[in-house]
Amino acid sequence: MIKLQERKASIQPIESKLKINILEDEEIKQINQNTRKVLEEIGVVFPSGKALNILAEVGANVDFNNQVVKIPAHLLDKYLATSPRTYTMAGRRPDLDVNVGNGEGTYYYCSGEAPKIVDFNTGQRRLSVKQDIANHARIADYLPIISLLWPTVSASDKGVTSPLHGLEACFNNTEKHVESESVMDQISARYAVEMAIAISGGEEKLRDRPILSQLLCCIAPLAQDRGGIEAAMVFAKYGIPVGFMSMPTLGLTAPPYPAGALTLAMAETLSGIMLTQIINPGVGNYISVNPGIVDPRTGSYFMGSGIAQITNVAAVQMAHSNGIPVLACHSFGGSQYKLSNWQAGYENFYSHFLAVMAGADMSFGPSGMYEAVSLLDHPRILFDREILRVIDDVTDGIEVNPKTLSFDMIKQIEQTGSYIGHKETAKAYRSIWPWESILYEDGAAEGRKWRDPVEVARETISWILENHKPEPLLEDVKQEVRKIVAAADKDEDLKKEVRGHKKTK
Amino acid sequence: MSEEIYQKLAQTVIDGELEDAQALAKQALELGLEPLDCINKGLTKGIRHVGELFAAGEYYLPELVLSADAMKAALNILEPAMLGGKQQETVGKVVLGTVQGDLHQIGKNLVGSMLTANGFHVIDIGVDIPTSEFIKAIKENNATIVGASALLTTTMMEQKKLIEAIEEAGLREQVKVMVGGAPVNQEYAEQIGADGYAEDAVSAVNLAFRLVDAPK
Repeated sequence: MIKLQERKASIQPIESKLKINILEDEEIKQINQNTRKVLEEIGVVFPSGKALNILAEVGANVDFNNQVVKIPAHLLDKYLATSPRTYTMAGRRPDLDVNVGNGEGTYYYCSGEAPKIVDFNTGQRRLSVKQDIANHARIADYLPIISLLWPTVSASDKGVTSPLHGLEACFNNTEKHVESESVMDQISARYAVEMAIAISGGEEKLRDRPILSQLLCCIAPLAQDRGGIEAAMVFAKYGIPVGFMSMPTLGLTAPPYPAGALTLAMAETLSGIMLTQIINPGVGNYISVNPGIVDPRTGSYFMGSGIAQITNVAAVQMAHSNGIPVLACHSFGGSQYKLSNWQAGYENFYSHFLAVMAGADMSFGPSGMYEAVSLLDHPRILFDREILRVIDDVTDGIEVNPKTLSFDMIKQIEQTGSYIGHKETAKAYRSIWPWESILYEDGAAEGRKWRDPVEVARETISWILENHKPEPLLEDVKQEVRKIVAAADKDEDLKKEVRGHKKTK
Repeated sequence: MSEEIYQKLAQTVIDGELEDAQALAKQALELGLEPLDCINKGLTKGIRHVGELFAAGEYYLPELVLSADAMKAALNILEPAMLGGKQQETVGKVVLGTVQGDLHQIGKNLVGSMLTANGFHVIDIGVDIPTSEFIKAIKENNATIVGASALLTTTMMEQKKLIEAIEEAGLREQVKVMVGGAPVNQEYAEQIGADGYAEDAVSAVNLAFRLVDAPK
C-alpha cells in the first residue's frame, strides 16, 4: 500500500546498474553519417520566414521559395557543439531540479495532453477541462516518481488559450518543473514566458533556473511546424530548454526500417536544435523519438509494436552520440489497449525497461493515459507507477559483497533452520518487499484478504485529491499569472495566430 | 525502578533484542522483582504491541519472529524462578507441533511466533512428533488448543490420527484442534473433525481467538 501521509513534493529518478546497447558503435556512425547526408543533400522544411533568415545568415543553403534548408555537416556540428549535454530543468525548489544528463538516472514525466477524461466521480467519459489539469497536477506533485509534468489534458473549456490555462493550472498545483507541448505559436509562447518570468521573479532568474520548458513535435518526414518552430525561437531566446520530438511512422512517414527512420528522426530534431543554438548558444535541448507503425490491414496508427519500441530505445544512443540528452519512450497508455489488457503490461514494461538500461536522461512516465494517449483516468497513473517500481527494483541488479554473500548467516543458521527470524532478514526485507504498492494490499480487518488494486488505486487518488496541498504560489505571483492569462484570452492577434490566419512572411 | 525495568523488558521485545532481553530478565531477578510481574507488565505488554504493529503492517514477519524469540529467551530465565502455582496472563495455551514423519517447521514456527505475539502461551514441541507426544504435551500443559502441521499428502493423515487419539484420551472437551499445512484445506479439516483450519499464520491467530472465544 502506498503510505498516504501529507508530504512535500519530491522527485526520484531511476538509476540502472544494468546497461544495454541496441546499436554498435559502427552502426551509430553510419546513421549519423546518413543523417548528415540527408541534411546536406535533401534538407528540412522550415515554414517560417524568421527561421529561414536566421539559418541563411549562418551559411545554411536556404531555398526560400520551397522553404527548404540544406545544412552542411560542419555547420550542423558547429552549432550542436554548443548544445549542452547537462543542464537544469528547474523546479520551484532546488531539490526538485531535474539535472538533465548528470548521471542521476532517468527522470519521469507525467505527460499526455489528452482531450478526454474519465470523470472520477461519475465514471463517464467527457471532454477534459482546466480543473482536471489542476487535479492531475496535484496527483503528480504528490508522487515522487514523477519529476516533471505537462498539462496532462486539454482545457477544452478555455478555447484557443487552452495551453496557457493548462500551464497556469500546473503552476498553481505543483512545485515541479512544468513543460508545455501545446504552446505552438510565438504569441502564446511570449505569454508563457511572461508567466515563467513572473513565477521566477525576473528574466535573469528564469534564465538561471528555467522552471518551464517546451517540447516541439516535428512533422515527419523532414519538416518543422511553423507555429511550433516560432514558439521554440521565443523560448530559446529566454533560455528556456526546448526539446524536439520526431514521430516517424515506419512505412508511412518514414522508411520501414529503424535505421532509416532514425536517420529522419535525427535530421528533423538536430536541425531544430541547431536553430535554437544559433538564437541562444548553450540553451538546453533534448531529443525524443516516438516511432510508430501502421496496421497494414486498416491503416490505423499503432504505437505499441516491438519494432517501434526498439527504434525508440535506439534513439537514446543516437542522441547521446550527438552530445544531446534524450527523452525516451512512449507515454504509458500509448498503445491501443484497455486498462485490463495484459498487452498494456508487457508493452509498457519492456519499453521502459530498455530505455532505463539504455541510459535515457528522461522518459515519459506514469501519466494515467490509455487509448493511444487520448483518455486520462486518474487512478491508472498508479498502475503505470507499478511498472516503474518493478523496473527500479530490477535495474538495481544484484549486489555481491561479503555482507550479501552471507557466509556468517549461513554458518549461524546451519542446516534445516529458518532465516526469517534473523536480524539481517529483518533489515533486508525493508527494501525487498514492495510495500509502496497498490498490488499487495490486504485488508487490515478480519481475514486480511487481497484487495482489488483498482479499488485501492481509487482510494489512493481520492486521498491525494482530498488531502494533498501543494505549496502554493505567492498570492501576488498567482494574481500576476492570472492577469497574464486573462490578457492572452483577450488577445485577438493570438487567436488569429493560433487559427493560422496569418501567412508566413 | 521496577516500572523502569518492566518498560525496558517491553522495549527489548518490541526491538527484538534477544540478548538485551536475557540480560534484563537476569537483572530483574537480581533486583528481586517478581518474575510474574516482569512477564505480565513487561514481556507480554511488549509482545502485544508487536502484534499490533504487525496487524497495522508496520512490522513484517522477521521483526515478529525476532520479538517472539526475544520474549521466549527472557521467559526461559523468568519462568523457572516463578513461585509454584503462579501463572502468567495468557489468552490460551497452545501446543504446537508438526506431525510424525514430517520435518517441515517454517510454517509451524511462524504460527507459533504469531500466536506468541498475540498473547498466547505457545508450547512448541517440534517436528516429526508422534501422536503420543502431542497427547503428553496437552496433558502436561493443560493446553486449550493443539495445532498440528502437515506439509505432505503422506503425513496429513497423521492429523486425523491425532484427533482420534485425543478423543481416546478423553481430552476432546478440553482441547480445540487446529490444523494447517500446504495440502490441508477447510473441507479436509471438517472431514477429519478438526475445530478449525487456517491457511496462513495471520488466519491461524484469528482462528485461535475464535476457538478460545476471546476478543482479539
